[in-house]
Amino acid sequence: MSPHATDLHAADFHAADLRAVHLHTDVDDEAFGRAVGDACSRIAPTWPLDQFIAVNPYWGWRSASIAGAAARLTALAGTTLTMPRSWFREERRAGRLTDRHLVDAAAELGSVELADIALAMLDAADEPWQPPLVRFALVTDLRDQGLGPVPGRTWTDLVVHQISQLCAAHFDEWQASWTPDRSAGLFGAWREDPSVTHGFSWRHGSTWARARIDALPADSLEAIARMLDELGVAPEGREAYLTALLCSLNGWAAWCAYQRWQARLADTDDDSIVDLLAIRVAWEWLLAHDHLESDGASERLREWAAAWTLLDDVATESADDQRLDWVLQIAVERTWQDSLIAGLPAATRPDAFPAVQAAFCIDVRSEVFRRAFESTDPTVRTRGFAGFFGLPIAYTPAGSALTRPQLPGLLAPTLEVTDLPSTDDATGDHDTGALAAARIDRLQTRERRQAFRKDPSSMFTYVESMGLLAGVKLLKESFPHHHGPDAWEHDGLGDDHGSLRPRLALVDDDPAAAATIGHRVLTSMGLVSGFAPLVLLCGHGSTSANNPHAAGLDCGACGGQTGEVNARVLADLLNTTAVRNELSVLGIDVPDTTWFVPGLHDTTTDVVRLFDTDLAPATHVSRLEHLGRLLRSAGEIARSERAASLGLDPTVVPAALSREINERANDWSQVRPEWGLAGNAAFVVAPRWRTSHLDLGGRVFLHDYDWRLDPERSVLTLIMTAPMVVTNWINLQYHASTVDNRRYGSGDKVLHNVVGGRIGVFEGNGGDLRIGLSMQSLHDGHTLRHPPLRLSVFIEAPRDALDAVIAEHQVVHDLVSGGWLHLLRIDSASGEVERHTSAGWVPRPA
Amino acid sequence: MLDSLALTLLPAAILVIAALVVGRCTTASAAWRVARAATAMVAVAAVAVVVARVVDGVRADDLVRLDSITAVMLALVAIVGWVVVRFSATYLAGDVHERRYAGRMLATLAAVSLVVVSNHLVLLVAAWTATSVALHGLLTFFGDRPVAVAVAHKKFLLARCADACMVGATIAFGLSFDTLRIDEIAVAAAGADSLSIGAHVAIVLVATSALLKCAQLPFHGWLIQVMEAPTPVSALLHAGVVNLGGFVLLRFSPVVDLAVVARTVLVVVGVATAVVASLVMTTRVSVKVALAWSTCAQMGFMLMQCGLGLWEMALLHLVAHSLYKAYAFLSAGGTVRQTQRRRLAPIPSAPTVRALTASTALALATSALVGVVWQSLPWADRLSAGVWVLLGVVALATVPFAASIGRTSSARRIGSSVGRMAAVPAVYLALHEVFAELTPKGADAQIALLGVTAAGFVALFVLQAAARSMPEGRVVRRVRPWVYGGLFLDEAFTRLAFTVAPPPAPQPRQAPLPRPHAVAMVPVAAGVRRHGATTDATDATLAAVTTGTDHS
Repeated sequence: MSPHATDLHAADFHAADLRAVHLHTDVDDEAFGRAVGDACSRIAPTWPLDQFIAVNPYWGWRSASIAGAAARLTALAGTTLTMPRSWFREERRAGRLTDRHLVDAAAELGSVELADIALAMLDAADEPWQPPLVRFALVTDLRDQGLGPVPGRTWTDLVVHQISQLCAAHFDEWQASWTPDRSAGLFGAWREDPSVTHGFSWRHGSTWARARIDALPADSLEAIARMLDELGVAPEGREAYLTALLCSLNGWAAWCAYQRWQARLADTDDDSIVDLLAIRVAWEWLLAHDHLESDGASERLREWAAAWTLLDDVATESADDQRLDWVLQIAVERTWQDSLIAGLPAATRPDAFPAVQAAFCIDVRSEVFRRAFESTDPTVRTRGFAGFFGLPIAYTPAGSALTRPQLPGLLAPTLEVTDLPSTDDATGDHDTGALAAARIDRLQTRERRQAFRKDPSSMFTYVESMGLLAGVKLLKESFPHHHGPDAWEHDGLGDDHGSLRPRLALVDDDPAAAATIGHRVLTSMGLVSGFAPLVLLCGHGSTSANNPHAAGLDCGACGGQTGEVNARVLADLLNTTAVRNELSVLGIDVPDTTWFVPGLHDTTTDVVRLFDTDLAPATHVSRLEHLGRLLRSAGEIARSERAASLGLDPTVVPAALSREINERANDWSQVRPEWGLAGNAAFVVAPRWRTSHLDLGGRVFLHDYDWRLDPERSVLTLIMTAPMVVTNWINLQYHASTVDNRRYGSGDKVLHNVVGGRIGVFEGNGGDLRIGLSMQSLHDGHTLRHPPLRLSVFIEAPRDALDAVIAEHQVVHDLVSGGWLHLLRIDSASGEVERHTSAGWVPRPA
Repeated sequence: MLDSLALTLLPAAILVIAALVVGRCTTASAAWRVARAATAMVAVAAVAVVVARVVDGVRADDLVRLDSITAVMLALVAIVGWVVVRFSATYLAGDVHERRYAGRMLATLAAVSLVVVSNHLVLLVAAWTATSVALHGLLTFFGDRPVAVAVAHKKFLLARCADACMVGATIAFGLSFDTLRIDEIAVAAAGADSLSIGAHVAIVLVATSALLKCAQLPFHGWLIQVMEAPTPVSALLHAGVVNLGGFVLLRFSPVVDLAVVARTVLVVVGVATAVVASLVMTTRVSVKVALAWSTCAQMGFMLMQCGLGLWEMALLHLVAHSLYKAYAFLSAGGTVRQTQRRRLAPIPSAPTVRALTASTALALATSALVGVVWQSLPWADRLSAGVWVLLGVVALATVPFAASIGRTSSARRIGSSVGRMAAVPAVYLALHEVFAELTPKGADAQIALLGVTAAGFVALFVLQAAARSMPEGRVVRRVRPWVYGGLFLDEAFTRLAFTVAPPPAPQPRQAPLPRPHAVAMVPVAAGVRRHGATTDATDATLAAVTTGTDHS
């Protein structure tokens, strides 16, 4: 280190001051590495916008109880996991929180008097008192007490902004054309960034800042260790401090966690989150040094540093404060459960043989459509299954560089699907290789010509020669229209896309292996016998225009894509004779009279589109036509049910309503094309007939499951370790975005500003990367559309089977025992429900 | 039958009345019905004004003026206003302050439609100031966001400086031309050989005001940072407000033509901003901020055209940029879909230096050929030196088409690329002819100014090529962070400006979702009071270090 001459005084001062601290610190490398690793593991990943799947932002805390995690998150990040108390008061007034459940909940948390306090508070005329949220201060907060970096701005804002801009440039692949050198990694890029030294007015000048940064070790872990020593944070306090720092930059931390998540799915690793941490620590360290020579500052800093060992004490105090909130939360959840439980015993098992079986995604939006579909014809049976149909695939469109995962984010794809000529065309003259080459050429030429619009040396001429045409586009978009642009997946294919179908090459190459997949899928689906003549495999997608979060409305189980590819691939597999022959060897006999037809449910417009109907045998043509008619009338019913929630009049004639919904879906100014999974509150794992008589209001995930077909409980294990986790991710994404939108949600859509073409959004000009859902996805301006209730998982299965899965799988155990969801058991004989508690199964009167 | 001059005031009148009515509406849907009806009526009125211009010819009185520029600008304001209001009505649905938003938007549009018809300097200055003040209400729509407040404040300071310049210019014009009627000043200047000192001062002040209001370096920061307002506000600002500086200069074009100092300032600042801001744009990582830097650059280009006396191109640039940028902002949500489309193909590699040189030569030759052929057409005049320089810029712009021709390209692909390379300059020259009918003819620019322009755009082309083909080069690597930081010009300016006039505090705003707000604390000696009650003397006792600016 060669500090500038004028910095000598300050440097000497620090050296003396910090050496003393260093002597007390016994650096234990292993413990330090663990502290860093644990802090990083607290941050849940966030997926890019074009694969925007729901994530439980508290995932890293699942080994703790939800209340314990909440108290720690309060102390470290200043967030809360429950709604303000005034909200519960409103819920009680509306009858959605009953006193009986309040008393029960208080008793369960071991403090009956909490119920009295809660009731007194809810009855009082004035606003309920809210305990203050208290979090640990960072050095940045200490500095914000004094003079800010610029009048009107805080250090906290500017530090977040600087790091955020750096990260955006580092990770951006699609927005900027002049990109930074990334070879030195994120931390290396930060060390060289002049915006740290020149974008701020340092007390000792920019040369001082430069010298200090240059003196840091290049390795981010080493740098963190060194800076923590100098800041005087004791080893026992480090994990807490580092976690708090990552929480202060939660958006980019989540993006870096995604890099790590993806790397680990591919059996490698990624350390950008450690780099990010090093940058954030470095800011603290710089701000501390910049300030140290003022009177009393070093004493203040010592006091501050010592505090980090006290996390447990502070969290305990927060937990005490928050017990009342958890009583209210449990009470409102139990009250809601009552409405569902009350209807269960009335279920009756149907006996008629189905003419149509239809598998839909477990998504809560399927419930509305399935109910409507079932009502059109008594011979229609629907079942719920994960919308990726259990296919661990990644899809690469023909002649494309893009391979996109079509499965839940928890899993890594193991099979690749691409566009192939359909079996019937195999003898035709379609050369997919030539087609692919032509497509790449077309797309690349388009990309090169785009430079005319985007390049600095072209943009002025572009505006003058082409700008007037934008006027036409402006007017065109401003008038209502029913169709969006052509599907992006078909870009550059011209008319050729009609001759291609997404297929698994395995089906032709190795029918036996394909049959193994088919066997597994059908078994998990519980569809192993009694096949109807027509089996609809229905994925789902959505329609919205000008919507950065459009993928969030598509199928989460398909990695934020539509389920079209999965449905078509599975139908193709199951319709192939060679595969069926192998399937019967494995014990599943699909009758020759059965045909699998793929479909896609548009959750915005409730239109179901059928695919590959041209391949169906002649015997099924009229059946397919009949199915089409049923689906159309189901669509009408579903649309009129959803109309009011979209602000439309449900009583207008179906054609008019359909037109309005279409216009809405394709309106470029529409920020609420549909309500997505808002309102989700339960996950029912049972045969469909258990709930088919109930109107579940589009708030319930439905997975078909018959424990009698599952003696090994392998299907139950699968459901509880995969779909149940996915529903938990969705449920807590909605929950977190509602209770603390500024930290876990993406704010107001009218301010969204897409970062890096796909990474995420800023709210407005900059600030941290925003994750989660926007206000518009949760609230209509008048009422909250997602009351944040933790998921109630109802499973119809024997006690011992459930207990065994909980005991065998840590993740399931964590979620259930930590209170991250409610687990309830439906007794298959009586239809009665019992609750899982730490003390075992407790009957629950309906 | 309305008098055609009175007709020009109709849009502003409709919008003012609508703004007042919206203020009294009790529901948001009623407010939007009024706003939508008003902007539809304004569109009809604008058509009527265009017809009146055709039928009635150019007219003016002490207050307003009806000529081609008025008609074009009113039509532009009508289109942008109608689109933006329609968009906002759905986009803002459910916001607590929808009605306030609608009112302010109508007020801004009213002020703009007054600016573009005014023929009196006092009316012009007042309307331009009113535009900025009404827009301020939209920029602070999220008045609880500290950045929104700080940036709007920054713009407010600069706009008031610009207003002061305009007041100064008004006085100087009055003293030197003995009239405050803009058309009379223009006529007087058009007949003169040179300007008085007072007139020079006046037009330099107008140019300065235009530079400030068009967000030219180093006063550009506010334009980049006002993404803190809803998207349609950005569309309105970038399409209908920021470009008024160019419009005002256009009104004084005969004066500018005679003013060497003003022209030099416009060309030098305009070219510098166009070059720097467009390079900064290529480094930006978020779509709206990239668009804002693009506007900054485009405004530089427009002011440069004003300085070069190419008034027809300045008007074309103003109108085309407005429409383009309004569309770009409103459709910015589609960025992710576009990225998906782009991801389908591997990114083509950057052309080699040799290929780039060949492409450049081909593009220059094609544009030159088009220019020569154009001149030889029976109806066309000889192209001025200024147009030739701009045609050079056009030629460089078509290089991407040349670069899209590869060794393996089919004849059809080559044909379509060459076709585009020829079509762009042809369209450009055709639009030049069309807009020349609408604007006064400018005076040729000094050779030095043309030299500055040419040098600027050649430098831009070279820098861009270097950044593209040698991203790992030492100089490119070291320069990029500075370009990314906008040369830190705004940081310096902001520190200075806010030290003189600190921004106001953000105001609470009702939010639909809860906003938990934590108090940051450090533990202090035991026994300190915490939220009202003395707690036990534990080590975990805390004391607040900050009091939040938030609220729930």
